[in-house]
This record gives sequence, C-alpha cells and structure tokens, in this order.
Amino acid sequence: MSAGIIAAPRAAQPPRGLALAFAFAAALLLVFIVLPLANLYASQSGAALARVAAMAEVRSAIGLSLAAALATTACAALLAIPLAYLLARSAFPGKPVVEAIVDLPLAVPHTVVGIALLFVFGRTGIVGAPLEQWTGIKFWGTAAGIVVAMLYVSVPYAVNAARVGLEGVDDRLEKVARTLGAGRWAVFFRITLPLASRGILTGLALTFARSVSEFGAVIVLTYYPMTAPVKIYDLFLQSGLGDSSAMAALFLAITLSLFIASRYLFRERREPGPTPAR
Amino acid sequence: MTAHRLAVERLSLRVGAFALSGITFTVAAGEVLVILGPSGAGKTLLLETIAGFNRPDGGRISIDGEDVTAAPPEARRIGFMVQDYALFPHLTVAQNVAFGRRFGAASADAGTVEALLERLGVKHLADREPKHLSGGEKQRVALARALAASSRLLLFDEPLAALDAHSRGQLRRDLKDFLRRASVPAVYVTHDQSEALALADTIAVMREGSLAQVGTPSAIFNTPADAAVAEFVGVETVIEGKVVAVADGVARIDVGGRFVHAAGILTPCVGASVLACIRPEDVALAASPQSRSSVRNQFPARVIATEPAGPLFKITLDCGFPLVAYVSKQSYLELDLANRGEAVASVKATAVHLIAR
Repeated sequence: MSAGIIAAPRAAQPPRGLALAFAFAAALLLVFIVLPLANLYASQSGAALARVAAMAEVRSAIGLSLAAALATTACAALLAIPLAYLLARSAFPGKPVVEAIVDLPLAVPHTVVGIALLFVFGRTGIVGAPLEQWTGIKFWGTAAGIVVAMLYVSVPYAVNAARVGLEGVDDRLEKVARTLGAGRWAVFFRITLPLASRGILTGLALTFARSVSEFGAVIVLTYYPMTAPVKIYDLFLQSGLGDSSAMAALFLAITLSLFIASRYLFRERREPGPTPAR
Repeated sequence: MTAHRLAVERLSLRVGAFALSGITFTVAAGEVLVILGPSGAGKTLLLETIAGFNRPDGGRISIDGEDVTAAPPEARRIGFMVQDYALFPHLTVAQNVAFGRRFGAASADAGTVEALLERLGVKHLADREPKHLSGGEKQRVALARALAASSRLLLFDEPLAALDAHSRGQLRRDLKDFLRRASVPAVYVTHDQSEALALADTIAVMREGSLAQVGTPSAIFNTPADAAVAEFVGVETVIEGKVVAVADGVARIDVGGRFVHAAGILTPCVGASVLACIRPEDVALAASPQSRSSVRNQFPARVIATEPAGPLFKITLDCGFPLVAYVSKQSYLELDLANRGEAVASVKATAVHLIAR
C-alpha cells in the first residue's frame, strides 16, 4: 500500500549472518508466490489457450467478471470514502468497534459470506424479498448478486487505503482553504480528495483485484451467470484440468496485466524537492 | 482600499480543562498585534477562534464593525497563515493565488491574480509547484493568495517557526515591509521575543488563556505588568527611538532627548524608527563619568531600585529612559548602590542591539 506516507528511517546494516538468512527466506517466499503462476504458463500449449479463448462462454464469463468488478469498485468508492473520511478525521465513541467492523469481512470465510448474503439478499431474504417485490431487482442468480458478493469481501481494502490517504492530508491546508472562502464541501472536493487521491486509487485498485478474483462468496449467491473463476471451476468439473487450466492462464493474464498497469499508474512518484514540514 | 479594523471583546471559550477568558483588544488597519506567550498559553486556540474554527462561549468578534462571532471561516474574509504557509501542493502558484476567487469572496479592489503576483515579486513563479519554492517565495505567494481573496484581516500562527535563524530573519524583514504597507490589521502569534520585537506595533502577552498585558514593545519589556510577564519577557531594556545620524558604522539614536549609540551588523538609515535593546549584563555602573573611556554611551542615572538576582544584583535605573543593569556583588558594595541615589551607566555601542521597525 502507500509506502511513502510513513517514511521509515533507514535501518542500520544488519549483521551478515542475519542478512543471509533473511535473504534466503525472502527468496523462498518470492519463489513460492511466483512459481505456481509461472508454471501455469509453462504447462500451457498455444493451441489450448486459443481453443478456450474462442469459447463464447469463456469470453462472456471473463467479460462479466471484469464488468462486475468494475461496478463493485464504483460502489466501493461511493461507500468507502465517506467512512474512511470519518475514521481519518474525527474521534467518536466506539471508533475501535467501527474499525473492527470494517475489517470483519477479511476474517469471514468466503463461502460463509455467500451463505450469509443469501439469507439477506436471496429470494426470501430480508432485503432481497422486499427489493424484488418493489423494484424488481434480484440478487440471486444475477449480476447484482455478483456485485454484492464482491463488494462484501473487497470493501475493507477500499476503506483502509482511502483512510491512510486521507490521514496524510494536512488539516491546516483544509483550514486555510476555508478562510479563503471555500465551504466544507468545496474544501473536500478541491483540497482533501485530490491530495488523498493516490491512497484512494490504490485502495480501489486493490478492491478491483480482490473483486475480480472472488470465488467462494460469488458461487454461493450466483452460480449462473458464471464469472470467470466460477467458469474455471465449472470447466474443471466438466472436462478436467486441460481446459480449466488454459482458461485460468488466460484469465490470469488479463487480471495480472490490469494489476501491473495499476501499480505503474499509482506508483509513488519520487521527485526532488523538500517535503512539506508538518 | 478601505481601512479595516478587528475588535475582540471579552472573548471566552472553554475547551476541556483549558479556557480562554476575558480577551479584549483591537487592531487598527496597518497595525500588527503580536500575541506573545509560552506554548500552551492558548495562542493558537485564540487565533483559530478569530478565524472562525471555534464558536466562542461568550464575547464578540467584529471586523470593520461587522459582528462575525457566529460566522463560519469561509464568510469572514480572513487570511490565515500557518507554519510553512500551507500552499496547496497540488496546485501551481497561480492556481494557489486564484483559489479564493471562485468562491465569490473576491471584490474588485483586490486586483487580478497576475497583478498580485507582480506586486509581491513572484510573477515569474506563476506556473511553478509550491514544493519547488524557497521559504521567502512561499511567504509571498501565501500573502498574494490571501489578498486575492480580499482578506480584510491577516492572522499568522508562527509561520516562520520551522525555519533556520538566517531565513527567519530575512522573511521577518520581508513580512514587516509588507505589513507596513498593507492596509489590513494583522495578528501574529509567536513564543519568540525577538520575533515579537521585530514585527509588533503592539504586543499582547498571553498566559493561561488570558492576556496578561497589552502595550507597546517598550512598555511590555521595560514595565512588565507583573512578575510573570517580567519573567517571560526577560529583563532586556527595550527603548524606542529614531536614527538621527550614522557615521563610521555607528548610529546615533534619539530616544526622547537622550542619545544612544549603536554599532552593529544592522546599520539603519537616518530617520528610521528602531528599537534599541540593551542586555542588563552589558551595562556597567560607575560613581562618576569616565572621561577617558572609549565607551560611547554614558548615562547619568537615578537609581530606582536594587534587588539581589542570584549571584548578581539587579539595579533599575532611570536615565531619562528606563535601564536595567546587572552588577557583581563587589561593584554593588564598592559603589554603595544600596544608599547611593545616582550612578553613571555605560554601555558599549556594540552591545546595543537594534531592531528595525
């Protein structure tokens, strides 16, 4: 996340034995992360990739995943920024409880999330039933259901990263802006939001990444229409590892390139010049 | 431009265990009031209350006769200068200056953004980002930004506190120049006495949420209202005067009929108003004038009071202006200062520190 917000003092050179041991552990971890993904590509044939890429169901599943994750990210932006602002700027009783609630989705198994959401947003759910009756919006077996499942599991990332970004905005800038004639809303949109934008965008990129990769919560609430992870699972059940691993490689290529692009776009820009003193 | 005036009357505000109470002062157009006090005295709280960030429990704040006690900060038209000046880092210099414009606070007499940048000598920086500016440039841009929003009062919350001594002196002189010509009242908060002396027309000494004394710099330093003010401002003698001649790097200063000579780094021009500051340990006392002495300043003085001060004795003198001297116990006994009514005080010209006004 936004590593630049807290500038850690450079630590002293660690002793040689420690440095070696840590470097070994670090290398092991990096290999552990990268090897399975690299191997996934190594074991694919071009023909298999082309075959799954030509399948209409595969294409629509990938399209649905990306569209739903994008919609989720938009919802997260609208819902997470106000909460992040309150957490960053005000002290109120019960704040630790609110912070714990925000992190709660990270601790709940995703299939449990799906089942819990089903009871609320399903056809007979306490929110789902009246909503369907009054507005016709259904959450069971629809794109709306996918978005609800994705949002539940990914929104902590949006709130926490936006909060870090907002906390980094010097409140004296906001005060000065008010004395220059800007009301609270104008200060928020012209000063606070632009200055916190990197933290917020980092959070939204994580939200998107988490949403697009969600499987457990989505499959319980919405098996059809299939998102890409569900379709990969479906291919695995129907035709074994061949097609499912080819689609996995294809989908991974798309999400990884989005991930890398966002890392590049929201990276810390190091420029010479003094940093503002607090 | 119309002349502006700030009036604060019996202002009170309680925040937790701390309280501002009975704060009353006025600041005229072009006047600089420095609120001087130790940290924790409530200076920033008072300034932010004047700016409109806190609603006082009692009392009244008015600008140009208009009661703004209940107005939000954005309706007060106040320039608020904080430490390092808080320029908006995501906007260029020109965009910073133009910021207040879009909210309809600006009136016609503020001039265009370009004219303001020109007036403050930062027009060439218009497209720069604030992080690339020097301290002095930031100060000018912040002042232009406040003027562009038609500020009718300038508030300063230790804007120079984070700077090194050299830049601080330079920025202080720039600021004093600017404020002397500005037609708005200014309130400047600091804990730094030399800053207060350099900038203030009037000093208000603040302590534990209330104003202990309000007066001219010389009144505050020479005749502190109580022991606590005296302890905070120290015992340096501060005399107001006017430079009447400068020769060989020595300035001759008229301090109300008497003349003080000062030789220092700062050689002011003839006619300049200055504060002459003399530390008590730089004052020597003798029984009679020293005819062969090279000391420029010799003042026949009446001894007003003597009191022990640690290993030394503190002698309060009247030389036509007030003067405080520290003498050793030996001098004290030799001169018989306890009983003697008169003495001659001498001060080297190099020991007289001038502050331009």
